[in-house]
Amino acid sequence: MKPSPLRGTAVTARVGLALGVAVAICFVTGLISHFIQHPQPWFFWPTRPVWLYRLTQGLHVISGIAAIPLLVVKLWSVWPKLFERPILGGLVRQLERLSILVLVASMLFQLSTGLLNTAQWYYFQFFFTTAHYAMAWVAFGAVVVHIGVKLPVIRRALGEPLDDVAIAGSVGPSRRSVLVGTGLAVALATVVTAGQTVPWLRKLSVLAPRSGAGPQGVPVNRSAIAAGVIRRAKSPDYRLTVANGASTKVFSVADLAAMPQVTHQLPIACVEGWSANAEWTGVVLADLLAAVGASPDSDVRMISLEPPGPYSRTVLPARHSRDSQTLIALKLNGDVLDLDHGYPCRLIAPSRPGVLQTKWLARIEVV
Amino acid sequence: MRAVLIILGIAIAGYGTVLLWDFPVVIIVRIAVWAGVGLAVHDFVFAPLCAVLGLTGRKLVRGRWWTPVTVAGLCTVVLGLLAIPVYAKPGLRPDNMTVLNRDYPLGLWVSIAIVWACVPVYYVIARRLPVRQDEAVERQGADDVEGQPPPV
Repeated sequence: MKPSPLRGTAVTARVGLALGVAVAICFVTGLISHFIQHPQPWFFWPTRPVWLYRLTQGLHVISGIAAIPLLVVKLWSVWPKLFERPILGGLVRQLERLSILVLVASMLFQLSTGLLNTAQWYYFQFFFTTAHYAMAWVAFGAVVVHIGVKLPVIRRALGEPLDDVAIAGSVGPSRRSVLVGTGLAVALATVVTAGQTVPWLRKLSVLAPRSGAGPQGVPVNRSAIAAGVIRRAKSPDYRLTVANGASTKVFSVADLAAMPQVTHQLPIACVEGWSANAEWTGVVLADLLAAVGASPDSDVRMISLEPPGPYSRTVLPARHSRDSQTLIALKLNGDVLDLDHGYPCRLIAPSRPGVLQTKWLARIEVV
Repeated sequence: MRAVLIILGIAIAGYGTVLLWDFPVVIIVRIAVWAGVGLAVHDFVFAPLCAVLGLTGRKLVRGRWWTPVTVAGLCTVVLGLLAIPVYAKPGLRPDNMTVLNRDYPLGLWVSIAIVWACVPVYYVIARRLPVRQDEAVERQGADDVEGQPPPV
């Protein structure tokens, strides 16, 4: 079988460059999300602009999905090399082949598990976040090794013209049309999925896991049924406890509603790549903390009515807990919070992952 | 520069391997199987299938049609891949109707239909445009150029 003359380093290097950019965006935005959820002393995450996390997480999923057509074309352009002789060869060739095996396997792993996670399809029997995080380092490292190995070839290929030889005279596909076609496929993949985070694309995103619909116009990730909180959330005995060491105050829903109410437009943005802007009304968290004499420099733990689980308690850093836009929300888009959105009250802070915007709050304690 | 990149890359990937090593053996095996199966499916099922489709299509589709047909084929493959986790809604949970809440079969088939409807449109437009001389020359390979006439 004679390989198509369209394949070749001219196409591979150019598509590879675009894929490298997509992978780098994915890696960096993924790390940002990881370090917000697993804070390190050296890591700084601002509260402004309020949509910053929405942007980085939206980019994470958009660049990951854009990488799918890029990877398909990149692998198409080099696939015949898989069967080049010698199959094994000397030590250097074996090492190079091993590095490519790791590269391709880890890339396919990242893109497939990431795509399945956006649709909440956990067909794989391992915990998504930790496996996706660990493999991200493997994939990114393999990309860096690959660039190092191929650097002279990449430089030469990018420095030369596209060498536009058509396979059927002047009317067949050229290498340029391969690149244009790849660009079209990337644009199409983006349009049919990005509407779950880019509102004006919503109607066109026919393959997005979320249409953007939901109670009070906002989608839900964890429902009240799944969290097992319905009875306690609806109970007339419900109280929110705010604690700072020995100093404790208890608030009923009516107590919270009687406090000064503030309304802010804040996005809720999920690690799975969907986001929505909404109007939240409630008590400023800093006011509640002041009621128990907490220092504005203290981190705060949010504890849900939900039985203990990975996200039933979260820690809000001081920078966010003292922010004037961080609310303990009682209302969403003008109405009392839906049970699925965290009734009786929930945390909503600017520029934070949705999974850390703790719902069905039972207790707030100064760490 | 190359050595720095290769050593840096090995260190980064090595860190990932250390993180993977922390999983229980059964999980490591599942992760390895997922990655290995993905690789095998691509190299020995997906890629050969695309190659066969490409070679068959090449015989059936001629001339100016071939370029838009290949692009439409690529777009169809990409739409198909993106539809895998949503088409039959395997991740649907009855307690949360805000996920997987679209008609995905309709969305997929309509988008594929639109992609293929673009093929004749492109063909008509491309036919009306003259092939520029420099484009034709640029695309000529060694076989297109005649040898020097013999010296008289």
